[in-house]
Amino acid sequence: MVLYDSATLGGSCSGSSSSSSSSKPPPLQQRQQTQQDIDGFLAGAGYRVRSSELRKVAQRLERLETAMVNSPADLSQLASDTIHYNPSDLASWVDSLLSELTQPPTCPSEFIMDPVSNQTVVSDAWTTAEPHMPQVHQNISYEQQSLNNQLTVVPAMEEDSGIRLVHMLMTCAECVQRGDFSLATSCLEDMQGLLTRVNTVCGIGKVAGHFIDALSRRIFQGIGGGSVNGGSAYENELLYHHFYEACPYLKFAHFTANQAILEAFDGHDCVHVVDFNLMHGLQWPALIQALALRPGGPPLLRLTGIGPPSPDGRDSLREIGLRLAELARSVNVRFAFRGVAASRLEDVKPWMLQVNPKESVAVNSIMQLHRLLGSDPNRNSPIETVLSWIRSLNPKIMTVVEQEANHNQPGFLDRFTEALHYYSTMFDSLEACTVQPNKALAEIYIQREIANVVSCEGSARVERHEPLSKWRTRLSGAGFRPLHLGSNAYKQASMLLTLFSAEGYSVEENDGCLTLGWHSRPLIAASAWQAVSDGTADFPA
Amino acid sequence: MVQNHRREDHETGGENKEKRPKFFINDHVDILIEILERLDGRSLCIAASVCRLWCTIARNDSLWENLCFRHVSPPPSSVRSVVLALGGYKRLYTGCVRPVRSRLGRVRRASWARDEVQLSLSLFCVDYYERLGGSNSNGRLVEKSSPSSLMFLCKPVNV
Repeated sequence: MVLYDSATLGGSCSGSSSSSSSSKPPPLQQRQQTQQDIDGFLAGAGYRVRSSELRKVAQRLERLETAMVNSPADLSQLASDTIHYNPSDLASWVDSLLSELTQPPTCPSEFIMDPVSNQTVVSDAWTTAEPHMPQVHQNISYEQQSLNNQLTVVPAMEEDSGIRLVHMLMTCAECVQRGDFSLATSCLEDMQGLLTRVNTVCGIGKVAGHFIDALSRRIFQGIGGGSVNGGSAYENELLYHHFYEACPYLKFAHFTANQAILEAFDGHDCVHVVDFNLMHGLQWPALIQALALRPGGPPLLRLTGIGPPSPDGRDSLREIGLRLAELARSVNVRFAFRGVAASRLEDVKPWMLQVNPKESVAVNSIMQLHRLLGSDPNRNSPIETVLSWIRSLNPKIMTVVEQEANHNQPGFLDRFTEALHYYSTMFDSLEACTVQPNKALAEIYIQREIANVVSCEGSARVERHEPLSKWRTRLSGAGFRPLHLGSNAYKQASMLLTLFSAEGYSVEENDGCLTLGWHSRPLIAASAWQAVSDGTADFPA
Repeated sequence: MVQNHRREDHETGGENKEKRPKFFINDHVDILIEILERLDGRSLCIAASVCRLWCTIARNDSLWENLCFRHVSPPPSSVRSVVLALGGYKRLYTGCVRPVRSRLGRVRRASWARDEVQLSLSLFCVDYYERLGGSNSNGRLVEKSSPSSLMFLCKPVNV
């Protein structure tokens, strides 16, 4: 006589692990089943349950477990051999058990569960569970109360749908890679149906929603990705600002880079910082203040900010420069600003920066270098062009902060998988972070990145993230050597993270570079570099 | 001086103490300041609600300066001009130093006191910069310049 531990059954389809059934869940491509029919995963485990009834059955299994654990009846009666209920028809089996257990204790039915023939069993969980049964409640009202806690079933159900969503996303991506757009379209429809049953406010549902949007954009609008990159500069700045406030990634980037620049400028009186993406200039107030307070007094600071041209005649670069100048004046730092408007970084030429030979230069690139990795066979690789003119400036330090992800692989499915993991982690971290209204706009910022990674190709795809190891190879090959970021930067980063009320962020040191991650998955990496000096440097060291 | 002399005469003379003047702390502002300098932030705010004199004194930025640098070895003199330019010590304390200290208190190490203040100063500076945006006459900049870079230091409200 063989009994099942109902706890393993009441949950996700990992219930199949309790049997040594050799059938795997049927491959998704062959799932032609509609929702009225039998659920495929459980069928692989030997249980026949209608897909439409899954939620109800799961709830009842939970109730059954609670009822069995709290039942005043002596469960040893279950061990005797009276009535057979076939558990492969899971819905009716559960119903019958429940009706028997929730009746008053005077009539405990005796029954046994008959294993489906093609399965071997499991644990004699009941024989061990019996002496460990928790306090027997004669009070039926407790049982009623525990039966009311059915909300706990919902997450188990959701987890199941979440796993299914992920599987379907991978299937769809694989179809797209193969070029089978008709199957991809039907997958997309299935997923959109599944989305309605999943909580899309948080968790896997939300991330999946964004990926489904990106996939449908790719399938139906092609890979030009017009509207994705078409956001106005104003919108981009706004989203960037909210992303800055909602989570610590950009703050970490700014503070770490500033610390490295501050240390590199120690002892120099004439310094020039080139910022590859000025935005609102939020990085620079802290540097200006730190320079103002450095022992020995502040240097003459020049800042050159590169940014996209403003469409409506407003000179946003100049406005930011004026604000920074006002701040510098308040703290008595001699300051000069210059704005360079360029829609692409590779269009900037070194003469535009007007670097003075006597000053020390720092180049600061926060998530900009990866945009140059799109290779056009007709032109020189933009990354090499830019790196070579950076090198010709002979900067004292070049700070590079990049996303720690491999989103530039040639194969679409690999890229998609990597992006799914990366952005799920990032959304998780955002979830735990804050209760601000800014969170929604920060999510839109991330969503745009997702859309670009997934639905664009060629020159339209600018979010070509590469991991730190690849950047190391690339920069070393271009004539740069790494500078270690130092313990002050690490200390500052740790303190900064402790300030964020979410616990889960971790700063790690990786061979002189710092990475910030969520639960030990690094998401953003900061590093510092210096040009290797050789005899052909354009400017004297 | 005459008053003291008279008092001594009374005491040495063993006279009754009925004419001995009572001590009002508000008459001795310097002592009051010495005492207030040693309070913590919350007590200082409570003290500011006692009466108008205390309120005026508590607004004095040097009291807050003491609070900020209490656990730190004396900072260089240039810090003061910078902090005053960025909005003053009271603002620095209430906006940055206090939340930073309370959050870092969980994992504080002794060597962090100075770094805490430096970090607070940096955050304070970013906040000042955002507040600057409001003074710009351009309508669009005003909209996006509400100083919210310190929002993450505010306690999240559990609704």
